[in-house]
Amino acid sequence: MGKSLLEAFQCFLALAISPGLVGFIRWVKARLQGRSGPSPLQPYRDLRKLFGKEVIVSTNASWIFRVTPYILFGSLTVISLMVPLIAAPLPFDSLGDLVVVVYLLLLGTFFLSLAGLDPGTAFGGMGASREMTVAALAEPAIMLAIFGLGVGAGSTNLGQIVVRTLSDPGRTLSPGHLLAFASMFIVMLAETGRLPVDNPATHLELTMIHEAMILEYSGRYLALIEWASAMKLFVFFSLLANLFFPWGVALTLTPGAVALAFGVLLLKLAVFAVSLAVLETRLPKLRLFRVPELLSVSFLFALLAVTSSFLVR
Amino acid sequence: MLLILPLTGALVSLLNPRQRLTGLIGAVLAGAEFVLCLEISRECLTRHVPAYGSGAFLRADALSAVIALIVSGVAWISIWFGVEYMNHARSAGHIDDSGIRRYYVLTHLFVFTMLLAVTANNVGVMWVATEATTIATALLIGLQHSKSSLEASWKYILIGSVGIALAFIGTVLGYFNFFEHVGATDFALNWTVLSQVAPKLNGDVLRLCFVFILIGYGTKAGLAPMYTWLPDAHSEAPAPISSMMSGSLLVVALYSILRWKVVVDARLGGAYSSRMMVVIGAFSVAVAALLLIRQASYKRMLAYSSVEHVGLMCLGFGLGAGGAFAALLHMLGHAAAKSLMFLLSGSILAKYRSTRISSVRNLIGIMPWSGCLFFIGGLALLGMPPFSLFLSEFMILLAGFRSRQPWLMGFILMLLLVIFVSVLGYLNRILHGKPPENVAVGDLNRGGLLALSLNVAALVTVGLMYPPPLVQLLRQAAEIVQR
Amino acid sequence: MSLDLFMRLNTLACSLVLLMGIAILWRNSLPAYIDSFARQSMFFVMGILTVAVYTRAWELYLVAFMVFALKVVFIPRLLHRARKQVGADIEIRPFVNTPASVLLAGILTLLAYAVAQPIVALSDLPTRGSIPLAFAVIFVGLFITASRRSALTQIVGFLVMENGIALLAVLATYGVPLIVELGVFLDVLLGFLVMQVFLYRIRGTFGTIDVDGMRKLRH
Repeated sequence: MGKSLLEAFQCFLALAISPGLVGFIRWVKARLQGRSGPSPLQPYRDLRKLFGKEVIVSTNASWIFRVTPYILFGSLTVISLMVPLIAAPLPFDSLGDLVVVVYLLLLGTFFLSLAGLDPGTAFGGMGASREMTVAALAEPAIMLAIFGLGVGAGSTNLGQIVVRTLSDPGRTLSPGHLLAFASMFIVMLAETGRLPVDNPATHLELTMIHEAMILEYSGRYLALIEWASAMKLFVFFSLLANLFFPWGVALTLTPGAVALAFGVLLLKLAVFAVSLAVLETRLPKLRLFRVPELLSVSFLFALLAVTSSFLVR
Repeated sequence: MLLILPLTGALVSLLNPRQRLTGLIGAVLAGAEFVLCLEISRECLTRHVPAYGSGAFLRADALSAVIALIVSGVAWISIWFGVEYMNHARSAGHIDDSGIRRYYVLTHLFVFTMLLAVTANNVGVMWVATEATTIATALLIGLQHSKSSLEASWKYILIGSVGIALAFIGTVLGYFNFFEHVGATDFALNWTVLSQVAPKLNGDVLRLCFVFILIGYGTKAGLAPMYTWLPDAHSEAPAPISSMMSGSLLVVALYSILRWKVVVDARLGGAYSSRMMVVIGAFSVAVAALLLIRQASYKRMLAYSSVEHVGLMCLGFGLGAGGAFAALLHMLGHAAAKSLMFLLSGSILAKYRSTRISSVRNLIGIMPWSGCLFFIGGLALLGMPPFSLFLSEFMILLAGFRSRQPWLMGFILMLLLVIFVSVLGYLNRILHGKPPENVAVGDLNRGGLLALSLNVAALVTVGLMYPPPLVQLLRQAAEIVQR
Repeated sequence: MSLDLFMRLNTLACSLVLLMGIAILWRNSLPAYIDSFARQSMFFVMGILTVAVYTRAWELYLVAFMVFALKVVFIPRLLHRARKQVGADIEIRPFVNTPASVLLAGILTLLAYAVAQPIVALSDLPTRGSIPLAFAVIFVGLFITASRRSALTQIVGFLVMENGIALLAVLATYGVPLIVELGVFLDVLLGFLVMQVFLYRIRGTFGTIDVDGMRKLRH
């Protein structure tokens, strides 16, 4: 009973904190660039505003266009139930396979691309095709990275991986582990549409990947999509934090441990947020034909991670 | 003692500004080296292996003696020929004084490194010396700063260094193998020690080791498919250098492979290494035969002929004791004939000022003595009697039939026939035909021609008279290779 | 130094050596290549030092010093100078493009594991786990030499290969006998100097160090 409550709490956490996370990153970037920037709570205000606005749908759009925001939001909510944010192992873990998580994310991407194509606009189609390219290239990398992690931990179940890594802290220094982390980090940049793959703050349609697909959305649909992409970033950060550096995750369900885990999670998220902000400030956006190079490097890291954890026991 | 001589030669060339004197001293020193090698061979014949230094650092058994003979012999003839050749080049403006000085210094260093490679007991030192030959020869190939020679020397040094690096991996693996079974000792890399301990070493690692050795040193030896640097390098280098490279450097590289072959065979039996050598040897001959069919430059033709002959040698070493003996005889004969041909090609280039076969005609008419010698050398290379190459090729084929590989020998025979036809065609075109205009009649480099006559004498003597001391030495060397 | 710590540090150093070698494949500016080589040599020196501390062999300290002096300081400096004089900064259109090169590097690593199998099986040194990494560095170095256009990059590739071989020697046998080590050191130095000379000559004669321009000698 307590465990299911914790599960629900985790989901609520994801919903509540993710816009704040995006806002925080934006705020840090602004500060680094010498601006004062919008407050970290601005995304919440944006969401509230959007939920109140009227929805305008193109007459060319089909049911896919209307359904996609819900699918996207729904899939990410389910994922947040499975990711070990605060405690591991948890009851939904029987569903909580890393492979399932990845493919749920991909489900969202797939529908979003379709929705980009649906209204028949030029930019939507362009964004959709670019997004599909990036996703297709990122997929083998992330699958191999998961495999590398799984081989090390003996299972691809998220809770299991956390527990195993916690019981053998020396393994965090092993090359396989670090390489898998590097690979997933690069994939995270690609999947969540951050620099150097895609600039989330761009206004120029020709440079957009993710933004181009959602150009047609308005009102509550846009709100759901924006919230979903914030949750995607949150989920990726949590995965990176808790799978690779799982200290602080509560193994028992005492209130003390849970509170500590909550605090540690916030800390880790803050660290990742700041490093992402620094990275985005330093790196320019890659030209599109260079993105395969970056992703092939990510694939190589994943391959090396698998080799080193598989062949060097 | 032997090694001091070329070092002195290098030193003298470095310090002495008078070109003529340097050249003559060089030639004399080279002659002295040759005599010393004869002395070493004589000692080996009496079953006493001359050694020197702690743990037999320098050691010359029959195998080393044979190769050392080849090296010093070719060096002597080439340096002798080179004196007049370089003078002519200088007066024709192809090369300046500093270039000539570099030529002499590097040539002597080159000879030194080759002799070190064959007399070193330590396979690590053998490797170091072989790498040093790459460096020395790369500078020598690029002596005349032309576009094509630069391309040739760049390819040579890159491919050569990569090959040598692979050979070093093999050396490290061999040492590793020894290390695992015996532990680190100072004399671990001595060939004598290695070959004694060999039966106890690990077979798989040794197999891997030999692969690297064969590919690595095989690159230096000009075996296919690593021979790509050879046509460029041997055709672009100045004639005396080409002759030394073709005649002795390829043989030194084969020598290194042979030393390792003995170690590997002691553990794995002859089958593994012999099979690989036969395959690579036959492949080299085939590649050479195919590429000889259409050649435009006579120097490249000679270079491909080197690939063919090295392939035959490698083949011979893979065919048992009789084959090893034949291959060693072949090394001698090839060295004599190839150095003869390359040195003459230098004269031809100086006279006709072109490397194309089509530009060279009526050699017999324009340079009677050179043309004659060229014809003789060409016949020798094709394996005609009464020259020793005929004997050695015949013996290789015989060894092949004896080891029950008739189809392979038939294939080789066919390839030799193809080569025979192509090269004879080229010879014909070069020697006869209408003389081109504005080419003066008359032999160049008479002093050098005298040296070359020694080559011919060697070929004929060994071929016809089969002198017993030499045969005895070769037999001893073959024994070392094929225990 | 405990065995466990030694193994971890050594593995880390060797992995970084390999990573720096592969970094040359995905970057495309020549200063980056030279710096990657310098860093790779630095990690290699660290690897030697871990072995030296663990085995308490004074020769390895000497070897580490020599490698440091040669490959971390001297050669990169000369390479940078050559690069500035020759004016080459970007590797344009290598023979194998970047994503393919990177993927091939992965395949070469797997190949290295396969090739190194008998050696790892035979060895009983604690460093044996990293032997495949040394082979991978060798193969990657070979690949760099074969697939790049600029003569300077070919030299860097060759040097990476040499690093790999030296790493193999250290990992498999804690270093080869000192005289051979000295000989190798001299050879690498001389070989590199000669290649440098040729680099300048090529630039002088052809006007570029793009080796694809040197195709005069064919068959």
